[in-house]
Amino acid sequence: MDDKVTILVVDDEKGIREGCRRILTGEGFAVDVAANGKEGLEMVKAKIYDLMLVDLMMPGMGGLDMMEQVSQIDSEIIMIVITGFATIETAVDAMKRGAYDYIPKPFTPDQLLAFVNRGLEKRRLSMQAKRLMEERDQKLLEVANERSKIHTIVNSIADGILVINREKQLVLFNPAAIKMLALSRKLETGKDINDLILNEDLIHIIEEGFSSESSQYTILSEEIELPSPINKTLMVNVSKVRDETGQDFGIVSTLRDITSLKEINQIKSQFVAMVTHELRAPLSAIEGYLSAYLTQAAGNDPQMYSQMMERAKQRAHSLLELVNDLLQYSRLEVKSVARKKEPLNISEIILSTVELLKVQGTAKDLKFEMDVPEHLPLIEADRTEMEQLFTNLVSNAIKYNVKKGKVMVKARPDCNFLHITVADTGIGIDDESLPCIFDEFYRVCGPETRYVTGTGLGLSIVKKIVESHFGHIKIDSKVGKGTAFTVMLPIQQGKESK
Amino acid sequence: MAKKPKILLVDNDVDFIDLNKAVLENGGFEVAVAYAGREVMDKVKFEQPDLIVLDLMMEKHDTGFGVAKALKADPVYRNIPILMLTAVLGETGMDFNQELDGYWMKTDSYANKPLTPEELINKINELFARSKTGE
Repeated sequence: MDDKVTILVVDDEKGIREGCRRILTGEGFAVDVAANGKEGLEMVKAKIYDLMLVDLMMPGMGGLDMMEQVSQIDSEIIMIVITGFATIETAVDAMKRGAYDYIPKPFTPDQLLAFVNRGLEKRRLSMQAKRLMEERDQKLLEVANERSKIHTIVNSIADGILVINREKQLVLFNPAAIKMLALSRKLETGKDINDLILNEDLIHIIEEGFSSESSQYTILSEEIELPSPINKTLMVNVSKVRDETGQDFGIVSTLRDITSLKEINQIKSQFVAMVTHELRAPLSAIEGYLSAYLTQAAGNDPQMYSQMMERAKQRAHSLLELVNDLLQYSRLEVKSVARKKEPLNISEIILSTVELLKVQGTAKDLKFEMDVPEHLPLIEADRTEMEQLFTNLVSNAIKYNVKKGKVMVKARPDCNFLHITVADTGIGIDDESLPCIFDEFYRVCGPETRYVTGTGLGLSIVKKIVESHFGHIKIDSKVGKGTAFTVMLPIQQGKESK
Repeated sequence: MAKKPKILLVDNDVDFIDLNKAVLENGGFEVAVAYAGREVMDKVKFEQPDLIVLDLMMEKHDTGFGVAKALKADPVYRNIPILMLTAVLGETGMDFNQELDGYWMKTDSYANKPLTPEELINKINELFARSKTGE
C-alpha cells in the first residue's frame, strides 16, 4: 500500500465529484474522479485505489454493476456507495456486491470524512492481517526447514545423542544412540528415561548432570562399560541445556563408542611392557658385569672378568640389534609407508644375502648348499624387505645350527607361487614352542640356546613381510634334526624373467 | 655353621645367573642354578638348597609364580626361604600379604629387578637372619 491514500470518486454529478475531491484532498488524500461506471472501471484497472466512492444511480453502467466488476479486478478495495435512494433493499444489494458501507445523500463534509476514515481503517487492518499471515506462513516454512535440517544433522552424527528435559523425559535422540545402547526397547520421545535406559551408570551420570552444581559450561565426562553380551565401552559426555531465558531446560548427553580405542591402547601398553622388559634384561646384565668388574666382586681371576666383558659386549650388541629390529617392525606396521614393489628376480637377492652372512657360519664350520636357479619367475616385491626377509631366515639357520652343520637354500616355482626354503641341521623347535615361534620377542629357550642372543623379532618381521606380499610361510621342524622354513610368494602374472 | 650356605639361583637370563653365581661364590656361598621353572622341583630335591632366589617373570607357560606356590604347598620344602625377584611389582599385581594368604611366610621376601649383586647378597643375608629368629 502506498504511503499516500488514494481514493476514487465515481459520480455522474460534477458537483458531487468536485465536492468530494475538495474535502478529501483537504485531508491529505490523493483523489481521482470518474464521471461514469465505464470510466471508473478503466481507472481501477490502471491503478490501485485504497477506497472508492460510487454513486448508485448512474447512466450507462450502474453503480452496482460497476462494483461487481471492480471486485473481480481488485478484491481488496474498500467500496462505499453514495445513494439518494437509501432504501434497505439497495443497501443490502450493495453490501452483497461487496460494498463496505453506504452514504445517503445529502451529506456534510464531516459525515463524508467519517465514512471514509472508517473504511480506510478497515483497509489498513485487513492489509495488516494479510501481511501478518504471509509472514507467519513464511516463518512456519523456515521453522519446518530448520527442524528438518536439524533432524537430518542430528540423525547423521556418528555419536549418540540424548536430550532429556527437566521432567526426565526423553526429548531428542538419534539412531546412533539406539545403536550404541543396543536397546531392545524402542526409544520414544516423551517417555521417562528410567523406563527406556536400564544401564545404571548411564542413569547416574545423567542424574549428576541435573544437579545444581554443574553450570552450563561444565561437561561431565565418564567412561561406562556395557557388559556382555554388548561388550562396549562408551565415553559419555553430559552438559546442561539452557533455553533463551537462561532457564535450565534439561541436559544433553553424547555417547561415543571407544571400544576399539581402548583395545588399541591395551595392545600398545602390552607392547610397551614387553619392550621395556626386553630392554631391561640386557642393560641389567651389562651394568652388573661392569659393576662386578669395578668392585672386583667376583674374585681375582682376570680371565673371568675378560669373559664377563665379552659377554657384556655381546649383550650391548644385541641391544643395538633390538633397536634396529624395533624400527623395522614398526615400519612394517604402517602399511602405506615407502613400500616400493617392483618386479624382482629374487634369485639374486637370495644369493647375495647368503654370501654376506656366510662369514657368521665359519665359527661352526657350516656348509652352505644352494639350489637357486639364476632365473626365477618375477615376483612383485619390495627389494629392501626381501633382503630383510632372507637375512633373518638365514641368520637363524646359522645361529641355531650345530657344529659342522648345513644350511640349505632352495627356490623353485610351483603353480602360481615361488617356493623358497631355508633349512638347517640345527637344534630344531619343539612342538610346544612351534605355535609361538612368530610371536613378538619370543625366543626358544633351552640349554643349547642359552648364550644365543637374539631380539625375538626376527621371525615376527619375516611373517609381516610375507603377509604384506600376500604370501604364506610354513615351518617344518624336528628337535635334534633341524628346521626348514618355506616362504611362498605369488608370482607376477603374465611376465616371465628373461 | 661351618658349611657354606647353598643358594639355588633360578632365572632364565644366562648372564644374570653367571654374574650372580660368580659374585655369590666369591662371597662365601655355594651356588646351584636352574634356568626354567620346570627344572626347579628336581633341582631342589637334588641340591637341597638353604635358600632359593627365584625370578618371577620367566616364560609364558612357566612363570616362577607357579613354582613358588608349589614349593610352599609342599610340606618338605615350604620352609626354604624364597627371595622372589620381579621386574615390576605393580605389573605382576602381587601383594604378598593378601593374595597368597597362608602361603607366604615371614621367611620369604621379594625384591625389584634390576638389583646389583651386592644388593642381592644383602637381601639374602637379611632373609637368612629372619629365618633364624622368626616364623
